[in-house]
Amino acid sequence: MPGLRAALPAALLLLSSFPPAAAKQPPWPWVPGVMHALNPSDSQASAAARTALHYSNYHGASPSRLRALHQVLKATVKAIPEVGMKYYMHFTTEDYITGEDAGSCLATVLYLKKSPPQVYIKCTHTQDKKQIHEEDNRFYQYLQHRKKPIIASNIPDSYGNIDRDHLALWGLAIAGSSCIMWERSREKLAYFVAQVKAVKQWIRKDSAVEFEFMILLHETPTQKIDLCHMHLIWILGHPLEVKYICTSDSHGLEDGSGQDSGSAAGMFHGKEGNF
Amino acid sequence: MRALLLLAALGAVAAATTENFVGHQVLRIVPSSDAELQKVRELQELEHLELDFWLSPRGLGDPVDIRVPFPSLQPLKAHLEANGVPYSIMIEDVQALVDLEQMQMLRRRRFVPRSTSTFDYTSYHTLEEIYAFMDLLVAENPNLVSKLEIGHTTENRPIYVLKFSKGGTNRPAIWIDTGIHSREWVTQASGVWFAKKIVQEQDQGLANILDQMDIFLEIVTNPDGFAFTHTSNRMWRKTRSKHSGSLCVGVDPNRNWDAGFGGSGASSNPCSETYRGPYANSEPEVKAIVDFVKNHGNIKAFISIHSYSQLLLYPYGYTTTAVPDKEELHQVAKEAVAALSSLYGTNYKYGSIITTIYQASGGTIDWTYNQGIKYSFTFELRDTGRYGFLLPASQIVPTAQETWKALEVIMAHTRGHLY
Repeated sequence: MPGLRAALPAALLLLSSFPPAAAKQPPWPWVPGVMHALNPSDSQASAAARTALHYSNYHGASPSRLRALHQVLKATVKAIPEVGMKYYMHFTTEDYITGEDAGSCLATVLYLKKSPPQVYIKCTHTQDKKQIHEEDNRFYQYLQHRKKPIIASNIPDSYGNIDRDHLALWGLAIAGSSCIMWERSREKLAYFVAQVKAVKQWIRKDSAVEFEFMILLHETPTQKIDLCHMHLIWILGHPLEVKYICTSDSHGLEDGSGQDSGSAAGMFHGKEGNF
Repeated sequence: MRALLLLAALGAVAAATTENFVGHQVLRIVPSSDAELQKVRELQELEHLELDFWLSPRGLGDPVDIRVPFPSLQPLKAHLEANGVPYSIMIEDVQALVDLEQMQMLRRRRFVPRSTSTFDYTSYHTLEEIYAFMDLLVAENPNLVSKLEIGHTTENRPIYVLKFSKGGTNRPAIWIDTGIHSREWVTQASGVWFAKKIVQEQDQGLANILDQMDIFLEIVTNPDGFAFTHTSNRMWRKTRSKHSGSLCVGVDPNRNWDAGFGGSGASSNPCSETYRGPYANSEPEVKAIVDFVKNHGNIKAFISIHSYSQLLLYPYGYTTTAVPDKEELHQVAKEAVAALSSLYGTNYKYGSIITTIYQASGGTIDWTYNQGIKYSFTFELRDTGRYGFLLPASQIVPTAQETWKALEVIMAHTRGHLY
């Protein structure tokens, strides 16, 4: 939607002079077309900011540069009749892995009923771009040159531990999962990565890096845990290629045994995944 | 034979039930003759010596290793020497070895603490370990702490509440519960820490409160679910009840209370994570608390603890109607959050459930508030999604510490505004 890029200056204008906060009681009777200010601590504002970050983390295609929401500074929302709700936000972020300050972002998120939200996001850079490129490159080379495929499970484990050796892998999983989370986010549905259940690398002869993941996503407000089978191809400097299929909660498998934390080896078939 | 009887007599005198291995040694004997082998075999009959054969006598040339308790050392060595049975000292101090191994086991979380001072608050524990902790705490502080059994779970596990009281009869009380949603592990872990903290602060920071009020603490509010998160599914949230007509297991214990039950904000689908249950209080875990609260009749503050999201919430969740005490609760929440943040800078938001998080019906504190318990709050502890339910154990104590600051504010306010 070309109009989105033009919307940014307009959004900036609006953000700097939004109307006094309207009295707010859900369900909000939004007057269509009118900007309504949101309390920055409003959960909707945070959810929209996170949706924007899922989009950014996926499209950034960089396991070393992932952002998490720190704080919403300003947020407004507009109801677009027949289309959806559009959020305009200014928020601060932190590095997903380290928690360090990662600058601030301006973003708009248009939630649609049945399609992935339309996101525009622009962030300041506090992290050293060069350093991030180097880290990605180092990790990429490491993965590319492996003869034996990496196989791992439960990142983090039940106790919240992540092996130092698995931190970058966790980053890659989150970058890929962000595609899933962005595409599935709706105005009233938000996602977090609960756990990387299993990872298996597929060794390739070309320059690409290929992985299969089993990811647990935590969905709110339903509180569901979705199990997603994700196939990811990473070529440095290119967008991540992500294919996935999710089951809504392992309840369907419930027979008293519940979902078990089996080994990664048990999760994957010998053939290449085909969705 | 006479020597053997003497040895037995000495052993009987020396016999003491030792709880540790200080001074114990492990001796090695390698019998090189039938006579020696016979002598060593006879030692097995001297029960009063409490010899622990790590390697039993077999044949000639086969080593025999014996852990010897300290009091039996001299008698045994004298006996062996008198009978010309050579021996060597393999392990000079068994306790030192045991200490080392226990240190290693501690890391593998199999350490059985013998006091609440040696309990590891920086790890996650099993149900058994937490129940054992409770018993230790009561045993160490019989004048302050008692353990109440308020019911049984679906799988017949006992449900325990710790009572902290300096006396009186049915004093106005504060209730705190953790672990109602079993996968929220940082909450049960914090509950354990709170229990110890209350004991430590009884004559200091909490003196003012405990002089007038009792504190009830339910650390594992959903024992079946908690056990399940250890054995089968770390992400299990609900109880483990089976209601007829469904293959799916469990009810959301925070949708099962009689407040707005049946309305929006809970599911009627047994397979849902927010399944409200067939009827209010269908879950024994919930019913136990309901009965307790009603029978007690004098609870003045009720705090139910969850994770994650970093929020401090007051009622309602089932309706947008503001509670009559909204202004006061909002102010208390504001102060509590400020106190919490002052420790590590952790950011919390606060407000009513429905405006701050989402609509939820049949929730705990909606019911308790409607029962007249004005200071009803729910916490959502660390973090905001990075680790979520899988919060690293290293964050248990900081989380508990900062949350305690907020609890202190709520408790002090309750104490200063008894009604």
